[in-house]
Amino acid sequence: MKAPLYHQNEKNTLMKTILSILLILTSFFSIAQTTVSGIVTDTKGNPIEGTNVYLDGTYDGASTNAKGAFSFQTTENGTQTLVVSFISFETFRKTAKISALNDLKIKLREDVNTLDAVTINAGTFEAGDNAKVTALKPLDVVTTASALGDFVGALQTLPGTSTVAEDGRMFVRGGEANETQFFIDGIRVFTPYTPTTNNIPSRGRYSPFLFKGITFSTGGYSAEYGQALSSVILLNTIDEPIQEKTDLQFMTVGVGVGNTQMFGKNSLSVNASYINLAPYLELFPDRNTWKDPIQSLNGEAVYRFKFKDESLLKIYGAFSYTDFDLIQENINFSNGFRFGLENRNLYLNGSYKNNLGNGWKIATGLSFTNDHSNINIENDEVVDNENSAHIKVAVKKRFSNRFKLSFGGEYFITNFNEDFNNNSNGAFNYNFNNNLAASYVETDIFFSKKLASKIGVRAEYSELLDEFTISPRASLSYKTGESSQVSLAYGRFYQNPNNEFLKFYKDFTAPNTSHYIANYQYVKNKQIFRIEAYYKKYNDLVKFNTEMPLPTSVYSNLGSGFAKGVDVFWRDNKNIKNTDYWISYSYLDTERDYRNYPVKATPNFANTHNLSVVAKHFIKSWKSQVGFSYNFASGRNYTNPNKDINGFLNEQTKNYNSVSLNWAYLLSQQKILYFSVNNVLGTENVFGYNYKNTPNPNGMFERQAITPAADRFFFVGFFWTISDNKKDNQLNNL
Amino acid sequence: MKKVITFIVFVFTIQVSAQTQYDKGMNKAFELWGANKTTKASQLFERIANAEKENWLPPYYAATIEIIDAFKIKEEPKLIAKLTKAQKFLDAANSLSPNNPEILIRQALLNVAYMAFDGQKYGMSMSMKNAALYKKAFELAPENPRVILSKAESDMGAARFFGQSTKPFCKSIQKAIDLGKKEKIDIKYYPRFDVNRAEKVLKQCMK
Repeated sequence: MKAPLYHQNEKNTLMKTILSILLILTSFFSIAQTTVSGIVTDTKGNPIEGTNVYLDGTYDGASTNAKGAFSFQTTENGTQTLVVSFISFETFRKTAKISALNDLKIKLREDVNTLDAVTINAGTFEAGDNAKVTALKPLDVVTTASALGDFVGALQTLPGTSTVAEDGRMFVRGGEANETQFFIDGIRVFTPYTPTTNNIPSRGRYSPFLFKGITFSTGGYSAEYGQALSSVILLNTIDEPIQEKTDLQFMTVGVGVGNTQMFGKNSLSVNASYINLAPYLELFPDRNTWKDPIQSLNGEAVYRFKFKDESLLKIYGAFSYTDFDLIQENINFSNGFRFGLENRNLYLNGSYKNNLGNGWKIATGLSFTNDHSNINIENDEVVDNENSAHIKVAVKKRFSNRFKLSFGGEYFITNFNEDFNNNSNGAFNYNFNNNLAASYVETDIFFSKKLASKIGVRAEYSELLDEFTISPRASLSYKTGESSQVSLAYGRFYQNPNNEFLKFYKDFTAPNTSHYIANYQYVKNKQIFRIEAYYKKYNDLVKFNTEMPLPTSVYSNLGSGFAKGVDVFWRDNKNIKNTDYWISYSYLDTERDYRNYPVKATPNFANTHNLSVVAKHFIKSWKSQVGFSYNFASGRNYTNPNKDINGFLNEQTKNYNSVSLNWAYLLSQQKILYFSVNNVLGTENVFGYNYKNTPNPNGMFERQAITPAADRFFFVGFFWTISDNKKDNQLNNL
Repeated sequence: MKKVITFIVFVFTIQVSAQTQYDKGMNKAFELWGANKTTKASQLFERIANAEKENWLPPYYAATIEIIDAFKIKEEPKLIAKLTKAQKFLDAANSLSPNNPEILIRQALLNVAYMAFDGQKYGMSMSMKNAALYKKAFELAPENPRVILSKAESDMGAARFFGQSTKPFCKSIQKAIDLGKKEKIDIKYYPRFDVNRAEKVLKQCMK
């Protein structure tokens, strides 16, 4: 009995062993192998090699071969998600029973969000490092020789701008300076330029270092923006500072200091500067007689707070004070013409951005401006006070990469008050409230990577004019080749008349323009070429019947005009080593009948031909960057009564030429010495002529050329950054 | 006895198969990378990252390969597409392991790829970002040889750009090498210090 028992025992053990082995084997074999296979192509059926095909959350997958085919074994079962991903295509997902994931034919859609997709760009130049096509790079604003660290000066090297050097503001495509509006983080800036007088160019009020990107639209812009007949300039402030630091600036014209502090989710940047031209004018006297040379005190602060949900609150405040008093030579005033100004300006801008999730984004903002000027003109004293505010809510919804919707509403408030005091005639007061409500809706549609469009409409209601306007906007872009595209844009734009009219008369309708734009762009390998043709029609411009707008003038909206032309831009950072250059050319043909024009004429702020050449060259062994810019503009119209006593804008000045140079020398990564000379050749440019009101005994009107206050301008500055981290450098201030 | 063995074999098999999948995947990916099959290696890391949702290493390596590849790209659209992809991996790694010095210096390398492509365009913002990244990495791991080397290399790049001597940074590189030789790593597949490469960098620095 023993034996069988033993036997049985042995058998038992053997059984168990076999069972175990079987178990192990089944643990292998129960993992049945399934084949997942298929072919991946683009929408046209061309195979895509190298796509990553896998079952989500598993290790099982493969790459497609040259024929776009893939095949791999998997031990997974049940329902699985197959993922097909490849760079610059939208990721494909399919959830199905594993057995169904076989012999698949997968078409990947191109990702329209990539850099090589078509962009809607008619009329627009971008500056900054997250633009798709960057016309101006962040450093350009501060390293362009002629710009003198002013972002407005840098934008004037782009096509579509006229050279009105004695004014300094933006004159875009035959438009007046006030036809261009500025926005900071989508919120209107009511007084973007520093105050000045005849013949002394103004500058942009805001420091270029505050902005991470600038968009300059010369026409056909989005329905989000209104109250600009010609152009909008969008400035986006930096979302968060990178590190704590202190900047010091010592310049021939003044001093500046900046400091950035970060504490937790908060950050605060403060900048202050004091400019006084007295010492400079002592060394290099100009043509004016200064009673008080220009001095200005500017302070800016930005506070940012990042909430837990990544939403962002920014509060930006700027205060500036400027005063000067001077006597300018004037042919009609034997003792010269006196102009004194004291201006203070406060600007507050608060904005809040939040991602609501599910493709929804909201941005709200509020700005307030108080601008107060005390002006002395000969014997008149004028006190202007303007309070303006802008409230805006903008919502964006992304339905997919291919369809986006944006809409919003805004309200503008302007309250203007002027007290006018004349020694002999007494005192007058003029004031008005110019309030305006607007809303817009716009869609971005990508039909494919090659074809996209933006269609929008904007509605405005002006309380002052009691007028309701509708402005349609549309643009379309088509990619014609790997590196080229064509775009078309159309839009209608309304803008209420200027303060200079509204303070005397209110029964206007809003002047308006229609833009028609066609653009061709070629971008390849650090080279940009673009050419744009446009036609702009002006309607309902303000006319009046006196020498200057007066309370007694007769006003109407019977003015009209047009501007047409071609803008060409070429930038190349490739062909010449360590050299970056761009060339802008604008051709402009414009005429208008507005203000007190007796006939239709080309206004005196328009030049037919404008050319800018800007070049920068980095010399390593000198630790220097040298910059050059050349600006040419054909002559501008002026009225010559000697030619024809009834003539109007009947003659042209000689051409404008100016060569500027700059040199930035890096003492160390944190210290920079900067020199620049504007109009280094000292070309005597003439902007126009003032004629005497009365003829001399020979029946001739004597004249005086309008020229810059000084032919050349020199600038020397030393910039120093102090931070914990030695790597931060003055390149920012270069 | 046999039962015990069987049992052990059985248990061991299960354990091996459980461990193998990650190890096999990682080893295979490193092998592909070593054989210069970077696309396949990166794709495998991407798949592992999708399977191992708690582990920051696979997305970290997927990003690393994409970033290194980006330095060879001459066309901006491709560069941005590639670095955007790398950024997604890094973001994934970062959310799994926040305040990780290894990920911070990888982010700095990604930013360098932008700067190397177009210094005029990207230099200003990226150099500031990197300064902040290195500051943070140093606070977290002042003795990490990779952090020290990466910062030294970045400083050398800036010094060369400004035509200055790289000598002041050689000491840091030597320090990184010394620390790197001593370093003991107990996490599998944790980034290692490449002494050979560091020595080459040191030689360039001395020049």
